[in-house]
Amino acid sequence: MREHVILRTGNLKKYYGKGETQVHALDGVNLEIEAGKFVAIIGTSGSGKSTLLNLLGGLDTPTSGTVTIGNTELSGLKEEQLTVFRRRRIGFIFQNYNLIPTLNVWENIVFPVAMDGQKPDKKFIEEIVGLLGLEQKIYSLPNSLSGGQQQRVAIARALASKPDIVLADEPTGNLDSRTSDHVVQLLRMTSRKFRQTIIMITHNPEIAQLADQTIRIEDGRIVSGL
Amino acid sequence: MDIVEIRHLKKYFKDGSQVVKALDGIDLSIEKGKFTVIVGASGSGKTTLLNTMAGLYKPTEGTVMVNGLDLSKMGEEQLTVFRRRKIGFVFQEYNLIPELTIKENIIFPLALDDARIDAAYFSNLVHLLGLENCLDACPHMLSGGAQQCTAIARALITKPSIVLADEPTGSFDMKTTQNVAGLLKMTAATFHQTLVVITHNLDLAQLADRVVRLQDGKIV
Amino acid sequence: MKHMTGVLASRSFRVNRMRNLIAVSAIMLTTILFTTVTTIGMGATESITLTMQMLKGSRSDGDFHNMTAKQYESLEDADFIREYGLRMPVGFLTNTVRHNIEFDVLDSVQADLTFCMPVHGSIPKAENEIVTSDAALRELGVEPEVGAEVAIAFTAHGREYQMDMMVSGWFEATSEQLSMMWAGTAFRDAHPDIFEYTYDRDREMAGTYYSDFTAVSTAGLQEKLDHWVWQMGGAPDEANSGHLSATINAVTNPALEPMTLLLGAVIIVLFVLCGYLLIYNVFDIAVMQEIRRYGLYRTVGMSRRQIKKLINLQALWLSSVGIPLGLLIGYFVGKATLPYMMHTLSSSYENVAINVSPSPIVFVGAAVLAAFTVFLSTRKPVRAAVNIPPIEAFRYVETAAGRKTTKKSTAGTSLFRLAWSNLGRNKRRSAFIAASLSLCVILLNSIGIAADSVDIEKQVSYSIRTDFVVVNALSKNILEGFTRREHGLGQEVIAAVNAQPGVDGASAIYKNTLDDRNVTYDFPVAFDYTGTEEETGISYAGTNDGIVFHLGDDGHTLCNVYGMEETALARMDIQEGEADAHRLYRKMADGEGVLLGVPSDMGTSVLNPVFDLLEVGDMITVFKNGEPMMELPVLAKAAITGDDMEIGYTVNGTFEVGRDGLFLYLPTCIYTRIYDDPVIYKYSFDVEEEQRDSMSEFLESYVTNVDPGLGYASAEEARKDAVTTRTMLRFVGGLLGMIFGAAGVLNLVNTIITSILARRHEFATMQSIGMTARQLTRMMIWESVYYAIGACMAGLLLSVVLAFTVVKILISGIWYFTFHFTLVPAAIVCILLLLVAAVLPVTALKIFNKGSIVEKLRVAE
Repeated sequence: MREHVILRTGNLKKYYGKGETQVHALDGVNLEIEAGKFVAIIGTSGSGKSTLLNLLGGLDTPTSGTVTIGNTELSGLKEEQLTVFRRRRIGFIFQNYNLIPTLNVWENIVFPVAMDGQKPDKKFIEEIVGLLGLEQKIYSLPNSLSGGQQQRVAIARALASKPDIVLADEPTGNLDSRTSDHVVQLLRMTSRKFRQTIIMITHNPEIAQLADQTIRIEDGRIVSGL
Repeated sequence: MDIVEIRHLKKYFKDGSQVVKALDGIDLSIEKGKFTVIVGASGSGKTTLLNTMAGLYKPTEGTVMVNGLDLSKMGEEQLTVFRRRKIGFVFQEYNLIPELTIKENIIFPLALDDARIDAAYFSNLVHLLGLENCLDACPHMLSGGAQQCTAIARALITKPSIVLADEPTGSFDMKTTQNVAGLLKMTAATFHQTLVVITHNLDLAQLADRVVRLQDGKIV
Repeated sequence: MKHMTGVLASRSFRVNRMRNLIAVSAIMLTTILFTTVTTIGMGATESITLTMQMLKGSRSDGDFHNMTAKQYESLEDADFIREYGLRMPVGFLTNTVRHNIEFDVLDSVQADLTFCMPVHGSIPKAENEIVTSDAALRELGVEPEVGAEVAIAFTAHGREYQMDMMVSGWFEATSEQLSMMWAGTAFRDAHPDIFEYTYDRDREMAGTYYSDFTAVSTAGLQEKLDHWVWQMGGAPDEANSGHLSATINAVTNPALEPMTLLLGAVIIVLFVLCGYLLIYNVFDIAVMQEIRRYGLYRTVGMSRRQIKKLINLQALWLSSVGIPLGLLIGYFVGKATLPYMMHTLSSSYENVAINVSPSPIVFVGAAVLAAFTVFLSTRKPVRAAVNIPPIEAFRYVETAAGRKTTKKSTAGTSLFRLAWSNLGRNKRRSAFIAASLSLCVILLNSIGIAADSVDIEKQVSYSIRTDFVVVNALSKNILEGFTRREHGLGQEVIAAVNAQPGVDGASAIYKNTLDDRNVTYDFPVAFDYTGTEEETGISYAGTNDGIVFHLGDDGHTLCNVYGMEETALARMDIQEGEADAHRLYRKMADGEGVLLGVPSDMGTSVLNPVFDLLEVGDMITVFKNGEPMMELPVLAKAAITGDDMEIGYTVNGTFEVGRDGLFLYLPTCIYTRIYDDPVIYKYSFDVEEEQRDSMSEFLESYVTNVDPGLGYASAEEARKDAVTTRTMLRFVGGLLGMIFGAAGVLNLVNTIITSILARRHEFATMQSIGMTARQLTRMMIWESVYYAIGACMAGLLLSVVLAFTVVKILISGIWYFTFHFTLVPAAIVCILLLLVAAVLPVTALKIFNKGSIVEKLRVAE
């Protein structure tokens, strides 16, 4: 019996350009992801995995097809609504961390919550900070942190709003193997603890092995793993 | 012959009121012509070590001798000139000059000195790295791998004492990593260059003559 | 490396179009500022000088008077003279009625210098040819045309001459009372009897040589002139010596006042500051944007000097486009606005000649100033670019946190806090932008205060006490004035005025003239020396304090004496003695005394102590034909204005009659008893408000059609004159304020645009994790508005400080200003600034923050 499906795509396509030189970045992707799973999407560079992730997170609009999270179909939302939806329901982790340079670690973590006009749940945030080993660095600015530390901040930020889904784009790309391992373990742990769905893109098969489910994508199509 | 001799090297940074000990007493000798790899966790001090070898950082304590020259005794401008002539540096982000062509990028260090270009050496280098057909192109037109090859050519054009590379394949996928790593090693070997590379890529590390592991600012 | 620097510079130059545009605009704006002001300043000075020269009748650097033929010929050897003219006066034509014609022999150099060259026809060659003005010809009953025959009559050496001359050329008259008629040297050679030199015996002008000249250089001219005169046997200081003398044309070469120089220096500093703030910021931002690139160059081995050269090269290219453009635009803006400015001045200066020549000084000066400002402004940014260690530049993220590594607060995530902390990324730049914007506030407010402080009523009440006056046209020419009986008002015009409706409080005002030298006055003031003016033959006496009185035939002083009705006297400003005008007038009418007028500090009722020579009660004895006639004690003293002396700002009439002499005011009945053939110089009257316009029209048509020898003035005119100062201040101030404002706004625009461009990646991040487009816009609006708020606060504060210090001091030195504080201009500008600041980011974001989030996230740099 399948558990509740949190994310579903319907014949998702993303084309760039026209005519002969048209690039089929995604060529009809049908996905169903169950809530609470840790999913890795793996593929070589140019396979369309980043494109897929951006569409799943509503950062980009499909050429055709649908993306549904929960009961909401993303294409029906306007920019404002989409952004609000994203900040409440989706957490993002980027390959190059993308922390805001003028804000310290704490401020970076609570940013999405603050943008929502909410007061951050202090206990919850402190718990995440503790889990990620960032207690000493609360007031530090990003430029004084190492790569691994910055990525941990990014993770905390992604979790701060208690989203349903966490999307991670090559979160270990800029990290050495030991830190990479550590980060992925953390993701797995928080996913269990807070019952979140994590979808992670990677090109590294060893990292992918740590996930519950691996989906392989090639030339814009899913080739295995569903 | 040891082309690099580092004794009791310490490099401390100030972080507000705290002191960060990036390098905490390094003793290192590197043999000429050899391929050395430096590994370590993030924050272990590898980049700091490489930068100090290149004269981009001045040691807080200790000495750094490259090709017989004591870097800690040199002034800012002297170090710049030294870097230009004696060090080849390859970065993870390639750092080519976007408004110059590939050829101009490669000969840049020479042009800074108004020095003559050894034409035979140049075409040899370019051929080895597979860049003959894109000499007039601009960097953004090339793939990441080709850009990095350009950077390698630039690092070698001055026939430097040592070639330093900081995560040169860090952002590449496996195939490109293998290509670039192989080219790097081969080119260095062809011209008898000393190569020091920071990487967390185990495959690349396997190609090395020697692996140096750093942890918390010390060699282990 | 020269080649590589050039290549790098030109490539990056081409890539950076937006930066180039803004930098060129900044340099151009600064140059425009300098050029416009220099053009207007020089143009105004030129125009005013030319007008004054035309009024005076000569544009020479100086002139020689009373030379013998030998002295004249020796001018040829004077090395400080560039060119000199020949003038041999003959005399005034005697066959004229209203328009005076002076008849001289001139050469073409002299004619050119004194505005007598024929516009139609040619200079006289034959002995019977003359050149004169159209007004002179009409006066002689002839229509102005070449070849016309005209009869002239004059007196020389006591003999009367009558001749028929032919008009070889003529020009348009510049004066309504006086024109020059001149013949060539052929006439002189044909009439040796007229030009016999007898001046040393009988002071006969005919036969003497005069010459106007232009100097090679005006430096030290007075010494050179004195030396020359002394050498030639003249005595420079003694005008009555009967020998040659020379004077400098004060109109062509006015003395340079230290106040003007100070003001000029202040203005230059202010403008350089404005340009500096703008250009500095532009280059600072440009360099910082490229800092990673410079760090890259440094890492790859480029030396400090090479990088400096790179940046300086680009600054040079930008200047070579911006400065010439700025010069051109600034010149044309200045040239276009000059006539408007002169027009508002023209009621004070009639017939202003407008002259704006593209003087090289303007261009060179403005270009040098602009280049200097660019150089100054780029020093610091260049040094910063060059000194940052390569590694730091390389990983440079522009944050104040470049130095800091921790931030103690946790509140930074509301929109205004975010905006505020963004300003903190580069505190100095934020301060510079706020300063640049605030300059505009401060300037406009200071000038607004100055304009508001123009005290119109003060000026009006100085120049005229009634609604209207009718005078001889000479009184309206500040270089002429009323001096002779023949220029008195006739009864016809007085009757004509009285016939008009609404006339009230009218009084004819009598005045003594140079023809009344038989009436003199004695009083208890001791003189230290006496002398005689050699040009006019009038004797004078003076005190060591510098007061000079003209003397009459019997050796006592002439003074300036007036007769008036009670209504006129009641309008005067009595300060000491009998204060009740009615009682005073009755007493004076009974012959019991006289009202003494003392020139006051302009705009005040304070008697000027230099001229305050007598006390109430002192006795003044009236002498007529050498015999004492009456004794008049001083009953009261009044502070007198321009209207009490003559009219408006004309003082030459009283100067030529009584000199600094006492100003005595008598009732008409006493005046007419003292003076033979008493003449009226002014008719003052008020008019009911509804009738004033028709009175203006009436007077205008009267002096144009009926009697052109008359002139009139009105309080309305005086008010209009006074208002022009205020208008001009507002106009020029507004122009400058706009330029400063443009500079400030450009600075702001540049900062916002580059900030947006540099932070696109950051914006995309923020939007991807939950900041809506509307929130982003609001944050940017807050950032922009913070700059404006900073500017407004600094601007308001400094406006107040400046107002009560610098502005107050500058203004209190000028009598027709009364300090009037206001903050309204500053408030208005602040509101405008806030509005502009709020709107700018909205537009800028729309233009520069285009693209989807994904695209922007990919922008790696």
